[in-house]
Amino acid sequence: MRTGLTLLLVLVGACSADTEPALVASDVTITQPMPGMGMSAGYLTLTNTSEETITITRVSSPQYSSVELHESVIDDGVARMRRLEKIEIPAGTNTTLAPGGKHLMLMRPTEVAADAVSLQFYDGATLLLTVTSSQLQDSR
Amino acid sequence: MSPRNIFVAVVLAVALAAGLAVATRLSAPAEPKAALVLPRSNALPEFELLDALGNTVSRETFLDQWSLVFFGFTHCPDICPLTLQTLATAQRELAAAGQQPLPQIVLISVDPERDTPQLIGQYVAHFGDGNLGVTGSLDELKKLTSALGIYYQKQPGDGESYAVDHSAAVLLINPNGEFHALFSGPHVAANYVHDLPIIMENF
Repeated sequence: MRTGLTLLLVLVGACSADTEPALVASDVTITQPMPGMGMSAGYLTLTNTSEETITITRVSSPQYSSVELHESVIDDGVARMRRLEKIEIPAGTNTTLAPGGKHLMLMRPTEVAADAVSLQFYDGATLLLTVTSSQLQDSR
Repeated sequence: MSPRNIFVAVVLAVALAAGLAVATRLSAPAEPKAALVLPRSNALPEFELLDALGNTVSRETFLDQWSLVFFGFTHCPDICPLTLQTLATAQRELAAAGQQPLPQIVLISVDPERDTPQLIGQYVAHFGDGNLGVTGSLDELKKLTSALGIYYQKQPGDGESYAVDHSAAVLLINPNGEFHALFSGPHVAANYVHDLPIIMENF
């Protein structure tokens, strides 16, 4: 199974007046693209430390041409993958993006075997959070 | 009987009962806990698909070995790697426990338009040696999936970017080339480690 390393994160604060970021990421895992495949999955836990719901509508990364919010569901014996328009995190709660559930789909790497992947989380045009993670080899 | 003899008799009776209970429990046939073993195995239909090298994969390919078959596609970053990792973990644990024979892991593409033999081969090789990646024409795929009750449906998308919904089950094919048992998702390695030796032993 995937090695459960907790990675060192560089958190760049959310755009509130507070020095504490309202949105905090932990347990970030970016899988290495599969051989021959231009895509990775991203998993992490997002914690909303603020008093208001935080909505993520868009994620981008300089190392990938496209990042989408996705959810895998097994519904009546059928595995489905759906694109999510947004992820809402109510005040004081966290949302975990994990294998077999909500996840980030990172497509078309812009550089070969990037050592570090940076992810920007947005609500519309507002930057909520930047996370940097090393890219993990998929375990066999 | 003296009180001492009664005591000895009671101890013996209790010991006998306990022994019987243990013996009964040990000899009780172990049951699979996750797999659904089909009351009657279904022979695979005639079909012709391709492996990574472009060699024919047919019903005969499945003879004389056990196979765990999953239908998926390579442009699937979450469920498919997760399932293959689970099966690879189970296979590794069974091997470590000395289980013989070991089932081979087979991924059959439900997205043959994008999954070339080379691509599906690279994909399954990532999860271990000896895994079989299968792709081919949609018509031949349909012969197999209809016979096995496997569902798949390409979803709308932009050009090359689309997903394929597909049955989440893993099928166990027996060495006679018959659909023998079914594991429903979500898949847990421990279930395979528990159930496979029982199913194969009872075959």
